[in-house]
Amino acid sequence: MMRFLLAGTRPPGSGEPGELALAAAAHRVVAATAWHSWLRRWGLLLSFGLPRDPAAELRACLIVAVNDEQAADRLAAGWGAVSGYRVVVLPLTGGSSGETGR
Amino acid sequence: MSRPEEAALTAAFRAEWPRLIAVALRITGDLQAAEDVAQETLFAAFDRWPLQGIPDRPGAWLMTVCRNRARNLVRDASRAQERLASLRPLLDGQTSPGTAPGTNAAGIADDQLRLIAMCCHPLLATDGQVALTLRMVAGLTTQEIARGFNLPAATVAQRIVRAKRMLTQHRIAFVTDDADIRARLASVLDVIYLIFNEGYLPAEGESLTRGDLAFEAGRLACLLTSLVPAEPDPWALRALLSFQLSRQAARTAPDGALLTLDAQDRSQWNQELIADGIRSLERARGGPRGPLLLQAELAACHATAPSFAATDWAAILALYDELLAIQDTPVVALNRAVAVAMTAGPAAALPALDELAGHPALASSHRVWAVRAELHRRAGHTAAALADYDRALDLVSNQAERHYLAQARRQAEEAPA
Repeated sequence: MMRFLLAGTRPPGSGEPGELALAAAAHRVVAATAWHSWLRRWGLLLSFGLPRDPAAELRACLIVAVNDEQAADRLAAGWGAVSGYRVVVLPLTGGSSGETGR
Repeated sequence: MSRPEEAALTAAFRAEWPRLIAVALRITGDLQAAEDVAQETLFAAFDRWPLQGIPDRPGAWLMTVCRNRARNLVRDASRAQERLASLRPLLDGQTSPGTAPGTNAAGIADDQLRLIAMCCHPLLATDGQVALTLRMVAGLTTQEIARGFNLPAATVAQRIVRAKRMLTQHRIAFVTDDADIRARLASVLDVIYLIFNEGYLPAEGESLTRGDLAFEAGRLACLLTSLVPAEPDPWALRALLSFQLSRQAARTAPDGALLTLDAQDRSQWNQELIADGIRSLERARGGPRGPLLLQAELAACHATAPSFAATDWAAILALYDELLAIQDTPVVALNRAVAVAMTAGPAAALPALDELAGHPALASSHRVWAVRAELHRRAGHTAAALADYDRALDLVSNQAERHYLAQARRQAEEAPA
């Protein structure tokens, strides 16, 4: 298994909070919660990080363990779809437990 | 999570939205900033809850994040300008823990009330009051409001911007004393009623109802009664809207056609809303018998009648007499004429309708012609009925009502002389 960091940011041009329909917000929370539960159930989510500043451009980071880069890209696409984030995939090349990265 | 959980979360967001705006507004003193902070709070929930889990008390979580964000915003702004105190005179009062208004349940409720009063400020144009209330208090997006009113989103956005600008230009204070708020209660009730009417019987468009707007108005009325439970008029409005909304599902046939009271399937009436209407009416009866209470009493007569035939028209007529005595408008007179027709027959009501047909306030309305046409038809005056149906059809702009009138005209024409 290889480890990747998925970084979710606000898409370009959405710097302003804008208007979020309340029903849509609830739907997004539910969909994203289901997606993350799925990630956990399959043991793919190793850890996550959230910025202290809720208004930061970087919204969340996930550390995932998957077979290869294509699988990481698929996860990134799925996360982007449920969250609306622009997701960047970064291969992790080192690990605290001494596991081999890419 | 399932759809019920999504619905529960939506309800929680809806309930929290005006509280968030109100608290952020108290801290920042600026409506636009308050809206941005409330939005950011929702975005924060969206970022965090899927990963950290939905908190046990979502409302408390949202409130904490919102308050912190608002305080940070004020702090950042004040640092940048190096004149913290002049930014918001009330800041000192806010930063004193435990004594700041808006930090406990009662304070937040007061802030919500002040927010509503601010959105319905008499300086604002009516369309601005409506748009601002729906955005700030009901939490509808500009798009949703625009859809509700069949308007371009840009028009609604313009109204909201104009209203905010007006509040800023005239330095309309969020903080005001209770007497001011109570004085503005009438305009708040007017705005909610206007939103309801627009949703319940839109003047234009294809469908008979814009249900979302009507139910938003019902929700706002409920909110108002929770904020000023000792005031009778909000209870009267809540009762009236609950009774009216209870029939929402029964007012249209599956093909979208209008169903009048006599044709509605009463088993489809929402008993929960009727019960809420009855309870609210009881609370409202503690106050003076004003127009809202009388209208609620009228709605109760219909909502609690087991069948159309069993409707207590004599009581309805007495209520209209009472209403007309304090609100002598052609619309009330028109409705009273219907009650006269139901108690004493169409011929007894036609003279009043003849008079109303010439009233300038009803000149552009199809209703007086539609009612007179119906009464002429029932009295056997086919030619007069057809002429009045034609006038009504010339004036009506709602398509569901047009179809109803056209069908009624056909039936009058085909009826044996």
